Amino acid sequence: MNNHLSEEELILHYYGETDRADEARLDGHLAECGECQSAKAQLQRVLALVETAAPVAAPPGFERDAWARLEPRLPSPRSERRWTRAIFWFPQWALAGGVAALVLMAFVAGRISGSDPAGTNPAAPGLAQAGGNSDVLHTAVSDHLDRTQIMLTELVNSGVNQADAFAGEQARAGDLVAANRLIRQSAAQSGDEGIADVLEDLERVLQEIANAPADVTSNELSDLKARITAQDLLFRVRVIASEMRNRTRNDREAGDRSPLRPSMS
Amino acid sequence: MDERDAAVVAKARDGDREAFRALVERHSRYVFSLAHRMTGNAQDAEDVVQEAWLKAHKQLSRFEARADFRTWLHRITVNCSIDLIRGRRHREDAHDPADLEQGPLSERGAETQPTPERMAASTQISDRVNQALGLLTALERAAFTLRHVEGMSIDEVGEKLGMKTSATKHSIFRAVKKMRQALEPFVPSREHAGSQLMGRESK
Ligand SMILES: [Zn+2]
Repeated sequence: MNNHLSEEELILHYYGETDRADEARLDGHLAECGECQSAKAQLQRVLALVETAAPVAAPPGFERDAWARLEPRLPSPRSERRWTRAIFWFPQWALAGGVAALVLMAFVAGRISGSDPAGTNPAAPGLAQAGGNSDVLHTAVSDHLDRTQIMLTELVNSGVNQADAFAGEQARAGDLVAANRLIRQSAAQSGDEGIADVLEDLERVLQEIANAPADVTSNELSDLKARITAQDLLFRVRVIASEMRNRTRNDREAGDRSPLRPSMS
Repeated sequence: MDERDAAVVAKARDGDREAFRALVERHSRYVFSLAHRMTGNAQDAEDVVQEAWLKAHKQLSRFEARADFRTWLHRITVNCSIDLIRGRRHREDAHDPADLEQGPLSERGAETQPTPERMAASTQISDRVNQALGLLTALERAAFTLRHVEGMSIDEVGEKLGMKTSATKHSIFRAVKKMRQALEPFVPSREHAGSQLMGRESK
């Protein structure tokens, strides 16, 4: 019989994607031609194998490895505070001195009143409130680091001609500078020098970003990115962020011991 | 949705890190297999798993409580696989436009090269199919998987992969031909249908 279906036509027919113009002709031929019918049946049998095949399985322990790799990359959700009534890295600071705690309290209190819909927090909120929500401190600090990481990542990955995007990063950098300074000072005063060092480098870069002219040239932008990269800043921020998470976890595993509250009075 | 999922998803949506971890540990093997089918190698599949979970984490608040979590995750994974394939295509375009259409993925060292001997020696249909898929180029594999397994129309596949419909069709044709050639020996053929199909000329 003439005009057998080509392999392409058979494939399209199998998937129900025959061109409308060809439909009548192909259907008509298939209805009459045993050869084409068995060719189509054969194609069906072959392709059916694909569906019956089990997919390639992940190696043993894959799900745990996946989580281990994923977790440091996740932004810290606010409600992480649920599972960490024990405090973050803050205990050391709090114990190291009331001044450090006060500085951070002021910062946190600002955040609390900022997000307080009822407006019940006065301008100089009581330490009791912040102290009673020590987990909020953790959230505030880790939020800060997460937001900083995201901002830097976006900046480093942005194209050279994305002036609009840069303006957005600039505004965010400006917001981050103040919080960064408070946390850095607290860290320095509590003797957490490793962390303070990173925050100091970070602050310089944040300021530079925030203060860059609106019409920053692509060369200047490349310079800035190069400096962020050269200082390994993203990596170092990531390290302290994950260090803090570990401290939180240790605290949690140690059973919610919370030295902050007693030390605050 | 799986009732175990429903409760855990609700917690994860509220920001419970441990609940999210439970979801990751429960579904990562599924996500890996799906990504592997799309990308054809373990390393890419692992990367897709990471990206898919990051995206899921970010979008969890938009997840409809009544929807099926696995289905939702499936869609995210397919999209992340496509992003990876497309991203690679752009990068490699700058290098060597023909690269993706040259050797099959399996020649790039990601997987063991399937030889006819290996194909014949493998006893499992699954192995045979996976080896046959290893003969496809990245684009052929993606186009074929989206059409054949994910059930997208050729137009949709082209849209997803950033290809014209005609190019998409040809990727699928090439893929199906390779699959047929690799798998036909294992299909009990009646009336020599196989040889008939083999003999068909392309138009
Ligand atoms: Zn015919």
